[in-house]
Amino acid sequence: MGSPVIEVENLVKVYAGGTRAVDGISFRVEPGELVGFLGPNGAGKTTTIRILATLLVATSGTARVAGFDVAKHAADVRRRLGLAMQTPTLDSFATGRENIELIGRMHRVPRAELKRRTDELLELMGLTAVARKLAGTYSGGMRRRLDLACALVHRPQVLILDEPTEGLDPQSRMALWEELERISHDGTTMLLTTHYMEEADRLCNRVAIIDSGRIVVDGTPAGLKAGIGADTVTLQLEARGPEDLARQQEDVRTSLSGFESLESVAPEPFGVRLAVRDAGRAIPELMRRLDRNGQAVRVIGLTVGQPSLDDVFVKYTGRRIRAEAADQPLILGW
Amino acid sequence: MIRDFLYEAWYLGLRTLRRFFRVPANWIGIILFPLIQLFVFSQLFKDIIQLPGFQASGSGSYLAYLAPGQIAFTAFFAVAWSGSAILVEYRNGYMDKLRATPIHRVSILAGELAPLFIESAIMAGGILVLSVLLGATIKTGLSGAALILVLSGLFGMAWAGTSFVPAFLTKSEQATGTLSLLFFPIAFMSTAFVPPALMPGWLQVVNSWNPITFLIEAIRPLMVSGYDWAAIGKALVAIAVLGLVLQSATLWSFRRLTA
Repeated sequence: MGSPVIEVENLVKVYAGGTRAVDGISFRVEPGELVGFLGPNGAGKTTTIRILATLLVATSGTARVAGFDVAKHAADVRRRLGLAMQTPTLDSFATGRENIELIGRMHRVPRAELKRRTDELLELMGLTAVARKLAGTYSGGMRRRLDLACALVHRPQVLILDEPTEGLDPQSRMALWEELERISHDGTTMLLTTHYMEEADRLCNRVAIIDSGRIVVDGTPAGLKAGIGADTVTLQLEARGPEDLARQQEDVRTSLSGFESLESVAPEPFGVRLAVRDAGRAIPELMRRLDRNGQAVRVIGLTVGQPSLDDVFVKYTGRRIRAEAADQPLILGW
Repeated sequence: MIRDFLYEAWYLGLRTLRRFFRVPANWIGIILFPLIQLFVFSQLFKDIIQLPGFQASGSGSYLAYLAPGQIAFTAFFAVAWSGSAILVEYRNGYMDKLRATPIHRVSILAGELAPLFIESAIMAGGILVLSVLLGATIKTGLSGAALILVLSGLFGMAWAGTSFVPAFLTKSEQATGTLSLLFFPIAFMSTAFVPPALMPGWLQVVNSWNPITFLIEAIRPLMVSGYDWAAIGKALVAIAVLGLVLQSATLWSFRRLTA
């Protein structure tokens, strides 16, 4: 491995109003990696990306992209960077082809190469048929793909994507994931932000969970999930009223006390939730122990869940991430 | 450095022109009001031409007297909302997309501003052609007509600052056209409708400082008599001063916006 493509040290951004959007972030992205920033809205993901893309100046700390300091050598960074923002930014009154070509020209892609590259990207993104239509007439998925094509036209060394599938229907999202996987496979280093667990899980080699302007944990999706150390087993109980339910929940607790695979027991509205190590093997023994109690605990349903990034997120931030639409900045004028 | 700037402004400018001409509402909206004024006022005040003050202008009909003013107003309207497109792109992030490419920041502004010369000239040309169809003449022929378009284009480019500055300072689309309300005082305190001889004293003073009057007074001889180089020279100076003041303010407010 060469030197890191992105290298961020102690990055801080305090906005004029006093908001500490980024509060001491440090990380590295090695060549060819696909790294995801996972976090809720307002966590500081977009601010970090804007600093890396030379669009915003950090309050303190340093950031280097492709070996160049973003504050001191912005032009060198821009030449090597492809950027796609949270909402696709296109010229609605230009055709798909014109959109790609303009960005290519701004990057000084030579004329003949630009023609070839534009054709190639239109083909790749499945936009050849609509290349001569105005981008304003494109669907959400097409706009995303065109935006991505614009970001790739100059063959950037590093691709930075802010919420690349925000607002897409599931089908378009899947298609875009495949596209991003392919681009990553071709060797482009990528950093993306997302608040979709699934997206981080499926796409990223490495995930950094970011909350309140800090990276709280960083690792491979599998490693982070393994770090949870237990599966979630939910028992649904048949109860006659709340008192009966409370008694049964207590019975489950006493029956299972001393069971070595059990990590924790927590009451649920219709039963109990257990954190169990290696649930697949532990369940028969778990059920036997509950059975010894005779009719006292009436289990009518059982579900086993693998730990998800959701659980990882809850473990490290104490909160659940919500799949809400990303915030749009509200700019008021007079 | 300069070559880079010109290259970037050229391609960004082509984009701006495309955006303007691909939406018919843009140019219909600009041309409609001056056309209505030209058509209705030339009928309504047909006989006003017989008033003594009009003889000096050399216009044979009120339509001929009215046309130069409407051509100038077209250049005015062509740029009255010129700040809104760039503001929309500032908000939706397209400007950031451009700023994340290795270009000069000021190329983005130049790519918006330079095409306004062509937009205003072509719009003014439209009204010029329509007024000829309605019965006005161009004594100086095609080269005079070309000169009219150049003057209109330059005026449009200079005047665009009245839309850019409030747009950049307030970041509000509504504000981009607020100063277009200046149309009313500027139009009615100019020589577009009546010659200065028929104005009260105070209005003559205001009129003599009205930038659009210089443009109208340069265009009118080109249409009704011949080349009046003194008037053309004055118009160029007035446009240059106006442009220098307004576009310096535009540049300053653009830097402030994108800082």
